[in-house]
Amino acid sequence: MTKPLQNIILGAFAIYALVPVYLVVLAAMRSEADLFSGPLTMPWPPNWQNFSRVWNESGFSVFFMNSVKISASVTALVVLCAPLAGFAFAKMKFRGREPLFVLFLAGLVVPAPSVIVALYGNLQEFGMIDTHLGVILPQAALLLPFSIFMMRTVMQDVPDELIEASTMDGATPFGTFIRVVLPVVRPGIMSLILIVFLISWQEYLLPLVVLQTEILKPITVGAASLQGRYGVDYGGIAAAGLIAFAPLAVLFLAMQRSFVRGLSAGAVK
Amino acid sequence: MAGRKFLRPASSHSDFPMSSRISYFFLLPALLLYSVFVVLPILQVVGFSFFDWDNGIIGQFVGLNNYSRLGGDGVFWAALSHNAIWVVLTLAFPLMVGLLLSAILAERKSSTIRWMAAIYFIPRTVPLVVAGIIWGWIYNPLFGLLNFVLDGVGLGNLAGAWLAESNTALLSLNVVGAWTFFGFCVVIYLAAIQSIDPSLYEAAEIDGAKWWRKFRDITVPLLKNSTLFLGLYAAIEAMRFFDLIWVTTQGGPGYATEVLTTHVYKTFFLVGDFGYASVLSVVLLAIVLTLSSISFWVLRSK
Amino acid sequence: MNKFAMGAIVIASTVTAVHAETAVTQWDQFSQSGISAAGPAMDELITTCAPALDGASVLRTIAPSIGIRDSYRLAVSAGKTPDLAYTWPAASVLAGYARVGALAPLDGYYEQYGWDHINDFYRGRNSYEGALYAVPMEQDLMGVYYNKALFAEHGIDLPTTYAEFQAAAETFKSAGIVPVSFGNRGRWPATNTFSLILGLTAGKAAEEAVLFGDTPWTNDSFKLAAESFQAWANDGYFPRGFNGVGYDEANALFLSGNAAMTITGTWVLQDMIRGATDIDLGVFMLPPMKDGIEAGTMWGEGSQWQLSATASGETQDAAAAYLNCLLGDEAKQVWVQKANTVVIGTTPEELAEWGADPVVQEFFTAGLATSENNFYDLHTTLPESVTQVLYPELQLLIGGEATADEFLNKMQTAWELAIANGERWIP
Repeated sequence: MTKPLQNIILGAFAIYALVPVYLVVLAAMRSEADLFSGPLTMPWPPNWQNFSRVWNESGFSVFFMNSVKISASVTALVVLCAPLAGFAFAKMKFRGREPLFVLFLAGLVVPAPSVIVALYGNLQEFGMIDTHLGVILPQAALLLPFSIFMMRTVMQDVPDELIEASTMDGATPFGTFIRVVLPVVRPGIMSLILIVFLISWQEYLLPLVVLQTEILKPITVGAASLQGRYGVDYGGIAAAGLIAFAPLAVLFLAMQRSFVRGLSAGAVK
Repeated sequence: MAGRKFLRPASSHSDFPMSSRISYFFLLPALLLYSVFVVLPILQVVGFSFFDWDNGIIGQFVGLNNYSRLGGDGVFWAALSHNAIWVVLTLAFPLMVGLLLSAILAERKSSTIRWMAAIYFIPRTVPLVVAGIIWGWIYNPLFGLLNFVLDGVGLGNLAGAWLAESNTALLSLNVVGAWTFFGFCVVIYLAAIQSIDPSLYEAAEIDGAKWWRKFRDITVPLLKNSTLFLGLYAAIEAMRFFDLIWVTTQGGPGYATEVLTTHVYKTFFLVGDFGYASVLSVVLLAIVLTLSSISFWVLRSK
Repeated sequence: MNKFAMGAIVIASTVTAVHAETAVTQWDQFSQSGISAAGPAMDELITTCAPALDGASVLRTIAPSIGIRDSYRLAVSAGKTPDLAYTWPAASVLAGYARVGALAPLDGYYEQYGWDHINDFYRGRNSYEGALYAVPMEQDLMGVYYNKALFAEHGIDLPTTYAEFQAAAETFKSAGIVPVSFGNRGRWPATNTFSLILGLTAGKAAEEAVLFGDTPWTNDSFKLAAESFQAWANDGYFPRGFNGVGYDEANALFLSGNAAMTITGTWVLQDMIRGATDIDLGVFMLPPMKDGIEAGTMWGEGSQWQLSATASGETQDAAAAYLNCLLGDEAKQVWVQKANTVVIGTTPEELAEWGADPVVQEFFTAGLATSENNFYDLHTTLPESVTQVLYPELQLLIGGEATADEFLNKMQTAWELAIANGERWIP
């Protein structure tokens, strides 16, 4: 395979990756009247009104803050639970360790539509329907399998000597965990935070079903609902879609190394 | 609590010299959250499947009655076949592409690697719902980019209704799924490639091996673990994805893009037949659990 | 949800109601912003109708994004429905909820407030086994929106017979204009179009023979209707790739002047009127498609008000009083003027008097002229399990991948299953 051919391949897939993104940017700057005048025409001057309209009138400023709030809460909750559990699975011996780990792993495969109805009924009983809590708790729970798996992998790399030394100094297990282990696995936890935030931000079905009040909705639900029954507001939908994923793209670009390390934690073993 | 102190030789498995009760405390928050919001609904759905339901209100216990409907449910089998096709397509296309791209990239300078990997990964940051909307525009028969380009280069007779024709709908959607997935594969493979000993490649070059041979004989075999991981991940996702189809075709045209999750959703929400929808959910869960168990066994025995 | 829990909930909500000011929770789908925003009109009427509530208040929630049909189903399954919901569909799905006791019977209120303007056709659609369970408000009908300029340009007069309609379509086709804009990606538009074709081909009596009698779907007139619909697609009346075009996109195609007609209903009048900036909009009724069939069109009520069975007596009374106000003359005017929505019982004269948009007047005047001959809207009449078969099968039929016989056989199978399951609507 020659170098030029390689470059063509690299370039072709770069186009594949970026053209839809470019289209969204383009569409976000057009108005409804441009719908049938060719998909690649760029209106001049570019129309920023779609963004301001969607941000202010259609309430996307609120949806955005909701997404931030929900994803941040989910991430915080996962970080509170997963490292502890991952550490236990990696370094502690107890009865039922294997079966419990498998139990958690099984949750990796649960499809949302299967459990959503039972979950809805339960949330109704708890009074959590139409609250952010009703979205945060299940989301965090559903992300635990992946997170615990990743944390266990990361924790397995912590040298046993470190832990033993700390124990021999009289530290409690929890103390060892906080003072010795966590600093060592901090990069892994950073990765976990980024990945959980990414996945939580993209969640659609759960908030769609649980949240009823308009001002509680996150950005994925808001963007999809613009594609309502009547009306062809493609400029608005594009602007909304852009607002929906631009933060994630920026986050990824800024923290690329961390993301990658986290993602490969499971694969490269 | 910490009991005796004693010296132990370093071992591959560390034992904390105390009762396992502490371990359970470490597990408690995760276990609690998980049990209430994941395990419980699953158990409930399994339970639901054994009852007769009317419009969301539970009725009598009917044992395995609901399950007997599976055999005659044409939509179920069509959906299952589509999930299977999706698995194969995902394994064939984005996975292979990711492997190839990462092998090419690995030899370039690190800034190139970082930029290209970032570009390929960007689609992964797009929520599937938004991706579905965007690609819906690309595929739109009236004003979409694809037909526009085809018309423009004189291939107008190839232009079609992509998402609207039974023989192109599933494939077209898979192109969207691949779009979000191949960058993920590139990233995973790149990380793994970086741990391959370069001297292996040098030795092969001395033997006169060209690029393709090095790729086939060294890179691919050594990346087997990553391939297994990605393959398993792709297979599981192929069984449980929902958003993409729901925001574009909802299983249409006809049943061409019906998958298990859309069938479950429709049976729960639109038809309101909770009993049978629960059956479908249980079957779906069983399939995925079996798939993952088998792969896990295979992975562990390596 | 077992009876014990149900009972506990009823007690709990009654106790709460007694201690607190009576609040009526309302779910509806009127959006607040965007093109077809009837939300502001709804809010206005809540304020106007407050006195009728006698101290109670209305707590309004716009339906969750999942759609009110789906969220109401979830609510029923969780045992917690809103006191009042303006939801759809009527007939079979309503029957389902009535059958499991989720809805409060409303015959008493019908008598008390004398809602006689709701005629038998609508009453039938909103009742189950002789008792009324919902109050319809809007009336919707179908017709053909057309581009007056395009018709004039090509020298086409308004079709008064089916043959003339076909000729018009052919003329537009040769001129490179899409005859009938149509987008069936959402799968429900075809059910509306088919309902209209069915009514104009088989007639109301034939429909009722199947819906309420023992006649199978696989009868000759139904077959003719299916074949006609398929022929329209085959003959190129619709835009390219229509099974992949969205409903709104199809409307946009028409409003941009690229299509001569579009066959849909009054529910989208708001959008049509506001979007018709580049074209001159008109409406006509599709002529009967077979000899001996009377002129008429497809009617439905869009949505209807349902009262939850778990609402306390006080809440129900307050809700009923509120509904009565919403159906009153004052409210009817607000609906027409602020939301382009026509309440059942509104006459063409009133529409003219209140300065309704000329297109609105045109549409309803034409439709009300044949009000004795209402066809059924399959989409909101069939049991849900049958609708879920109708969706894909229609796509296959008009996509040319199934014959009329295959389509009707599938429908008959699904229909028989639904009947055996007790899902049939019995008004």
